[in-house]
Amino acid sequence: MRGKRLGTCRSQNWSAVILALVAALIAVSFSGCGGGAQQNLVTSDVSVSFNDPNGNNISLKLPCTNNCPAELKGKVVLVNFWATWCEACKAEIPSLIDFQQKYANKGFTFLGIAMDDDGAKVVQPFVMKTKFDVNGDRMNMNYPIVLGNDSVADKFGGLWAYPTSILLTRDGKIVKRFIGALSQEDLQYIHGIIGS
Amino acid sequence: MWKLDRPMRHRTLPILLATAACLFVALIANAQSGILAPATVVKPQAYVSLQPVPRGKQFEIALVANIVAGYHVNSHKPTDPYLIPTTVTPELPKGFQLVDTIYPPGMEKRFPFSPDKPLNVYSGSVTLRLKLTAQNDAPLGPTTIPLTLRYQACNDAACLPPVKLPVTAKVDVAAANAKSRLRDPEIFRNSSAR
Repeated sequence: MRGKRLGTCRSQNWSAVILALVAALIAVSFSGCGGGAQQNLVTSDVSVSFNDPNGNNISLKLPCTNNCPAELKGKVVLVNFWATWCEACKAEIPSLIDFQQKYANKGFTFLGIAMDDDGAKVVQPFVMKTKFDVNGDRMNMNYPIVLGNDSVADKFGGLWAYPTSILLTRDGKIVKRFIGALSQEDLQYIHGIIGS
Repeated sequence: MWKLDRPMRHRTLPILLATAACLFVALIANAQSGILAPATVVKPQAYVSLQPVPRGKQFEIALVANIVAGYHVNSHKPTDPYLIPTTVTPELPKGFQLVDTIYPPGMEKRFPFSPDKPLNVYSGSVTLRLKLTAQNDAPLGPTTIPLTLRYQACNDAACLPPVKLPVTAKVDVAAANAKSRLRDPEIFRNSSAR
């Protein structure tokens, strides 16, 4: 009898443990505890290599939320620092989408570094849901979007304002910095680098 | 007289020189780009409506925010949910109660980077008001009420990161039956807190 009681007690204990584990797993998945929920919004890392203003070779891995590319190496890359709270940044996005569409198959890409403090939680839904008027068509952002912070910005020489765009040649050399929205002249300059 | 000994001089002086050089370069670069540091775009000043503030009495703090010409900040009710509104938040010491915060209406303006979509902004000088009560247990004498002004500024071409600026309001609390006078009438002329 005593043995039976103990056996029952043991199985009850294990059931309680399993139930507790399941409850904990459910709680963690819904709470985003430890940044788990936020981490799930980041799909992969994007590697970008360049020579910083001091001539040091820098290689960064940045968490990517949207349009994550397989490779940036060998491409002309325009690193575009922006934020969802930056109206001037959002105003230039249609021209970036248009340019990306025209020149992505010529070895060019924008790399949008979102500087929102709230990270993927605010950036990913913005990029997924927001459509921009591009020559009469409603389009989403079609270039890689990664998450940045002050440390990332410092590697590129620091930021004074948004948007700030930094042009990298195919071999990772910084050739030009643009502060403010890109003008038609700026885009023509970039086109020249793509073609060279 | 404090003097650096020789080994310290060797270590410290190059570091100081390098730091000064970096600051100088950053200042020059910033000046060349014509873009202000975010924390310098708004110059806030806090004013208190009553001198002194009797216990039990309602009073006002006016935060006058002078925005550098050529720049604007989002109003308290910007047109886009992603934009960062201007807010003022007090850190109330014991004995004070916040009754209301009153933000001025913004102005609808179009900018070169957003010609089709007007933004609701503050520019020039704006006054944000806090209505507070010095409760019966407010400590007597001078005290400070820390405020945090949050804003995000742009000029016609680019935007600056959001800023939280600390501002201090100095309040002098007196007994409940103390006489007080209205301060800065040009700011508080229409104040209900008299």
